[in-house]
Amino acid sequence: MLRMNKLAKTYFTDTIKTQALRPFDLEVKQGEFIAVVGPSGSGKTTFLNITGLLEDASEGEYWLDGVDVCTLSDKQKSRLRNEKIGFVFQSFNLIPELNIFDNVEMPLRYRKLSSAERKKRVEHALAQVGLHSRQTHYPSQLSGGQQQRVAIARALAGSPAFLLADEPTGNLDSTMADGVMSLLKEINAAGTTIIMVTHDLEQATQASRIVEVKDGVICEVDKQTQAIA
Amino acid sequence: MFIYYIKLACLSLWQTRSLSFLAVLIIGVGISATMTTYTINYMMTKDPLPAKSERVFLVRLNNWSPEASYRNRAEERPPTYISVQDSLNLMTQNKAKGHIPIAGFKDMLKLPEQSAIDAEVSVVRATTRDFFSTFDVPFLYGSSWPQSSDTTGEQVVVISKALNLSLFSGENSIGRTLMLGENQFTVVGVLDDWHLLPRFYGDSMRAFQPPREIFVPFQTQINLELWTSNLQSYECWKEPENASVAALWSSECIWVFFWVELASADNKSEYLDFLDSYVREQQALGRFQRPILNQLQTGADYLQERRAYSRDSEIAVWLAGCFLALCLLNAMSIIMTKFQGKTAEVALRRAVGASSADLVQQYALETGIIGLLGGMLGLVLTQVCLYVSSQLYTHLSKDIMNMSMALMLATVILSIVSSLIFGLLPILRAIGVQPAEQLKSL
Repeated sequence: MLRMNKLAKTYFTDTIKTQALRPFDLEVKQGEFIAVVGPSGSGKTTFLNITGLLEDASEGEYWLDGVDVCTLSDKQKSRLRNEKIGFVFQSFNLIPELNIFDNVEMPLRYRKLSSAERKKRVEHALAQVGLHSRQTHYPSQLSGGQQQRVAIARALAGSPAFLLADEPTGNLDSTMADGVMSLLKEINAAGTTIIMVTHDLEQATQASRIVEVKDGVICEVDKQTQAIA
Repeated sequence: MFIYYIKLACLSLWQTRSLSFLAVLIIGVGISATMTTYTINYMMTKDPLPAKSERVFLVRLNNWSPEASYRNRAEERPPTYISVQDSLNLMTQNKAKGHIPIAGFKDMLKLPEQSAIDAEVSVVRATTRDFFSTFDVPFLYGSSWPQSSDTTGEQVVVISKALNLSLFSGENSIGRTLMLGENQFTVVGVLDDWHLLPRFYGDSMRAFQPPREIFVPFQTQINLELWTSNLQSYECWKEPENASVAALWSSECIWVFFWVELASADNKSEYLDFLDSYVREQQALGRFQRPILNQLQTGADYLQERRAYSRDSEIAVWLAGCFLALCLLNAMSIIMTKFQGKTAEVALRRAVGASSADLVQQYALETGIIGLLGGMLGLVLTQVCLYVSSQLYTHLSKDIMNMSMALMLATVILSIVSSLIFGLLPILRAIGVQPAEQLKSL
């Protein structure tokens, strides 16, 4: 479902050329749970941004569900992002002045779905994360764990092909983090592909595969080795 | 999506209410300054007879001394008014659709039952019935006098709504009588409110002052020999035979503004030909000993030539336009600050699938609402400024200080459009950054 061939990212400033990601190949199949690990500044976020079509690669090919995304216009990428990708961020990124229903509904608004269809999907997504009864609440009225669940519901509402999570438990205490990880595993078990960036090796070992980014080099690591380490 | 964007815009305006209010206030003040000066300038220079301006003309005949050109001008131009005898001749020949001499006199006005001490000095406009039809004058009661009154000089009168209110308490006064000096006149018509601006047909100095309140047939003034020497300009290159009014009427003294309404603009050259032949006839009789320079001049051209329009008001509009641009630049800076606080939301919306076009629409609508509110505030402030101006400049017609519905609509549209133009940069800056860069700052 996702294939990257010799993909690389280089940043240029006036005098400096920085190779954020060296050419790499990666293939992710439907239903996989990939953990992306690596130290700060290693290129994890760049990898996630390119995967999520938020940033263009400098070279190489990126195929998503059979579509060569390097050739797409801004509008086509927005549409693909809306239909195929769900984002979960470390800091939840809910809009404080919108209630929970409106926050979860946001991606569906850009898909031009009918009001009834949007309502059905939002209610289903909130039920999935156990917050069906909080539709009219505002983000500030929820705990951090609940806010992240809303963010996951927002990502799920559009029934994406895969979910990109950037340190989804980074701002949560261990109990809430465990809850969110359990939820992600449930979602993955239900068939949604997940690519998750994390610092937490314990969480990484719960994924089906681990990819390590180090100094811009992406390589797959043996899950068993990581577990022992 | 439109309703969704309105909801988001309202939420955002409330969230940033202080900045939004400031932007609305600045736009409102700029719009008000521009529209106040523009309204006054527009009302002063607009075409007063848009449907007829191409076929209503001031007749100018070169009736002056054989020895020197009129006012000794190097480039000879005919006077703006003509003599009584030429006015009567042109009306008799009846070659135009309408003939409108603009003459007048001053006399003491009172009701027949009032004593002489109650009489007030009033200025009377002497003209023909064509005045009312050509200038589209509305009637509240009655109508203009019949053709026979113009021919025979009957003692009939048309009065303004205001005069009817003061003399007859606003009642239908048709058939009632009033006294002008020693002469009794019968009221045949009462005018409704009438806003002809600029009032181009008479003395250019009075183009922005209210019209006269009493109208009588020109022929009546002639018959009754009603003349007031200090009321209007009159020029004589040759003295009348004696000091009588009758001698003045038959003299070469010029003082009557004479307008014609032609059936169509195409008839202009035909009427000019007629004027040329008329002058040649008169030359054969020993008059018009100067070159034939007959002219048919539009009201706008006449006022332009007489410098009725002040260049100052035009300059004021330009200055107010510059002030508006400054206000809009300030508003732009405020909107930019407003939108800078939204980079996180923009990044998020981009991430969940909003295209650049979606975000432009969302923020353009918010900017448009700021422009709409600024325009509405500007409209209210403009009305206040116009009211204050009308109180300050009491010698000018209050109609100059009135906004038409079209101008009101133009005010709001100007505010929205200019806000959108000046808001475009903040919008493009807000959405122009790669979403990834904005997400890094989240």
